[in-house]
Amino acid sequence: MMDRYTKLQMAGIYFCVAIFLIFMLLPFFEMFMASLRPLEHLFRSPYQFWSTDFSFDAYSKMWETVPLLGRYIFNSIFIAFSVTAITMVFVVPAAYAYARLKFPFKNASLAIFLGVNMFTGAVLLIPLYRVLRSMGLLNTYWAMIVPGVAFLIPTGIWLLRSYLEKIPLELEEAAFVDGASRMYTLRRVVLPLAVPGLIVVGVAVFIGAYAQQFLFAITFNQTRELQPLPAGLYEFIGYQSVTWNEMMAAALVGVLPVMVIFLFLQKYLVAGLTAGAVKE
Amino acid sequence: MATLDLNSISKSFGTAKVLHDISLAIEDKEFVVFVGPSGCGKSTLLRIIAGLEEATEGKILIGGNDVSDAHPVDRGISMVFQSYALYPHLSVYENIAFPLRVQKMEKGELDQRVKRAAEILQLTDKLDLKPGQLSGGQRQRVAIGRSIVRNPKVFLFDEPLSNLDAALRGDMRVELSQLHRDLDATMVYVTHDQVEAMTMADRIVVLNGGRVEQFGTPMELYHHPATKFVAGFIGQPNMNFIPSTVIDTANGLSVELKGGHKMVLPVDTTTVSKGDIVEVGVRPEDVTIGTTGVEVEVRVLERLGGASISYGSIGGDTRFCASLPGDVRVKEGGSVTLEIKPEDCHVFDANGYVLRRQAAPELVA
Repeated sequence: MMDRYTKLQMAGIYFCVAIFLIFMLLPFFEMFMASLRPLEHLFRSPYQFWSTDFSFDAYSKMWETVPLLGRYIFNSIFIAFSVTAITMVFVVPAAYAYARLKFPFKNASLAIFLGVNMFTGAVLLIPLYRVLRSMGLLNTYWAMIVPGVAFLIPTGIWLLRSYLEKIPLELEEAAFVDGASRMYTLRRVVLPLAVPGLIVVGVAVFIGAYAQQFLFAITFNQTRELQPLPAGLYEFIGYQSVTWNEMMAAALVGVLPVMVIFLFLQKYLVAGLTAGAVKE
Repeated sequence: MATLDLNSISKSFGTAKVLHDISLAIEDKEFVVFVGPSGCGKSTLLRIIAGLEEATEGKILIGGNDVSDAHPVDRGISMVFQSYALYPHLSVYENIAFPLRVQKMEKGELDQRVKRAAEILQLTDKLDLKPGQLSGGQRQRVAIGRSIVRNPKVFLFDEPLSNLDAALRGDMRVELSQLHRDLDATMVYVTHDQVEAMTMADRIVVLNGGRVEQFGTPMELYHHPATKFVAGFIGQPNMNFIPSTVIDTANGLSVELKGGHKMVLPVDTTTVSKGDIVEVGVRPEDVTIGTTGVEVEVRVLERLGGASISYGSIGGDTRFCASLPGDVRVKEGGSVTLEIKPEDCHVFDANGYVLRRQAAPELVA
């Protein structure tokens, strides 16, 4: 058995896990605490962890400070969903082709996809701006969706390909012998079996789309009504003051949908991201 | 009529040639087993017949039509895979119906055909279950059900029993033989298990290194193996080979076996001459304890009840296995004199080819 640890080792493991979790979660906790404090309290010195004037006022006032907040949250989710849907449409057939078919430059093109991933969107912002301008897409939802899709397709292909490769080839051969075409096999055999993998890729793409929209939004979009939440949060920074507590509250509400998705799909994610790592 | 003819089939993967010029004529309604050790090319040959691999050279004819470039369905074959290849997300019913759904068969007839197949295979009460809820033997039957529902001309089986435990394998062998009789179809079956080959086949193809060693009925292979390889492969326990020297070739083959025992064997002597080294093949079940014969040192004795299998050697390094009566009085570490009848002996020349036996028993059908 590999999981026999002494008490001391277990204590050590839990200690390290705790440190790691604190490091990861402390910002969220502090965001939450900041959202509860009245604004004056935030600048009080010395730092006071707990006080009696905590309230959820910021959660109601933020809608007044930034009237379009609801719209921003909707935009965020809408953009992320659109990016995910469009990305999947491209990724599924491509990943299947990479998993099963033989074609020239297969490995080379796969490597190029990985290479594209190495660039952050920031490096390509200026050329992308020119492309979007000449296509007349600036200041539309498309300005945030199209680059999002483009940057997420490679990740999607890599993730889904390794999942599809795990589906036994004999199943497809059996379908072929029984007269099924490639598309029929993909639809009736491969995709139903790849559902956990599709969920993993879908969630990964969604999170990616959610995370990257800030950069695209502030660069390619000037229309207020179309801004996603991360860009909209800027409106909490006023001429006179920054309402930090409301900004934190809005940010928390904004990441809530993603958190919920994570919680529900967590077991697929854990299984999916390690899939294909070891030979079974 | 579903004869299956292979004309000079060769197959190479890159520079590695795995099948060499294989020609076979399989008759209508025949049950033919391809048998051989792993890597002998038997599965590749089956996949070529199925249309999953393309032959590098050669032609495949089914019912006299050249189907070398045809799709599996147009060839009229169906295949049962080693892993069964059942669709885990579909019910037993949908698994069996799959080939018919592909054809977009009309519902009533589809239902009738699936139920008929389920009946033959005793799966009627399992139709709503998923493959994961079935035992190994039942999964096997679903895989067979999927292959018979299309009424193909030729059935192909790729080691279908290798995932089952020993007892179930015995039962399935009987079921498959029964199925062959019921369906009255041509079947090609690949296995590495010579027992499956012997028990089910009308004729056996023994493959070795991508070549056909011999093609014949089970008893033909047992009594008249063409090569030392076939002799060693067919029969359980394996045949013993005793290095021997030819003393004389007149009136049968006079040989001196290793250990000094001399015999005159009734075989064709035209290809050997005095002084040649040959190997005398003796099946473990063809020996009896006697007073004159080969002296064998017994290392291990396995008592199976009805028989006792002794593992030993002649002169220390030539292994010799004998199947003796169950309650034989032989001790491990002792030695025993085994009598061999000359007419039971097989003789192989230096290249491994047999010298035709002239006193072998008549073949039973």
